[in-house]
Amino acid sequence: MPDRSPAPSACLAVLPARNESATVAAVVRGVIDHVGCDVVVVDDASTDPTANEAAGAGATVLRLPVQLGAWGAAQAGLRYGRRRGYRLVVTLDADGQHHPERLPALLAAHASGGADVTIGACPGRLSWAKRIAWAYFRALTGLSVTDFTSGLRVYGGRAIDVLASGDASLLDYQDIGVLMLLRQRGLSIRETPSTMSPRRSGASRVFSSWFTVARYMIATTVLCIAQVGSGRAATADAGAEA
Amino acid sequence: MTMQITAALIGVLLAGSILYLVRRDHLHGPYALWWLIVATATLVLGVAPRTVDRIAEFAGIAYPPALPIIVGLSLILIRLLQLDIERSRQERQIRRLTQKLAILEQEIAAVAASLPAPPRDSPATGATAAD
Repeated sequence: MPDRSPAPSACLAVLPARNESATVAAVVRGVIDHVGCDVVVVDDASTDPTANEAAGAGATVLRLPVQLGAWGAAQAGLRYGRRRGYRLVVTLDADGQHHPERLPALLAAHASGGADVTIGACPGRLSWAKRIAWAYFRALTGLSVTDFTSGLRVYGGRAIDVLASGDASLLDYQDIGVLMLLRQRGLSIRETPSTMSPRRSGASRVFSSWFTVARYMIATTVLCIAQVGSGRAATADAGAEA
Repeated sequence: MTMQITAALIGVLLAGSILYLVRRDHLHGPYALWWLIVATATLVLGVAPRTVDRIAEFAGIAYPPALPIIVGLSLILIRLLQLDIERSRQERQIRRLTQKLAILEQEIAAVAASLPAPPRDSPATGATAAD
């Protein structure tokens, strides 16, 4: 580690971004204004000037030479944070759907809730298709989370250690697989309501076409079935899973 | 041309190609051993096809031609499974190396930016563009 490590209470904001040059600078400035924490933008092999926009707005930029997908980019940010000694990481999307002005409330909820992971959920924005899909996955996994794909999350130190490890490297989305891995390791997950706006540009990575949805549902179902039994036992001692 | 000569020809050709590839170092470590075993088996079965009948009789299989098909298909399935396991391992390594590369690149840039400006005549300037 070449640099001095941050203060123990320091927080790092991780923004995975792929071709978000229209919005990333505003989100970075918003986070710096409202939370004052360090910001790292992980440029997932963008073909537009996302990295330059982010650096211009005051973020540290990690440029992935090969596209790794949303979770691969987020994990790069978590590994960067862990390497630099951050014990608190907040992830949010760079497309502007998460409001930086809501971050202080989310971080306060994380601090008071005492969980290893706090998810900022916005149940109101879910479409009927997503409601059905999430009800199905709630039944399958036993996780009581209303918004599985929310990229607005706060990770504590233990969660950062687990998710920076190689065990999390073959996951593809920052969703159910991540939460199941955390539960399997006995970490607690909380959800807190937050507000989000519709995406300003681009489309949902998961719910973009029926083919993608089908592939996502099958892949995640397989992931859930492969994990059956390993998670529920750990939930018992994790306790406070809200 | 009898069936015996055709089978022997195929066996010798396959075994020869595999040996050639192994000798030319186109197959890495454990794969070379696997393919040498396959080459030996095709050579033996090609030159002496009656071996199958004797093994089948010994194993109590009433229809000997089914034996090489069943054994061959099973070995192919096992090999495919092993290939996918290997692919997953490599995918994990590639992803982690990609992430580490991005992190180290950022650190190098940060260290380079904190160094005093190089002297005027240094050729190593302006090398900031991402390649």
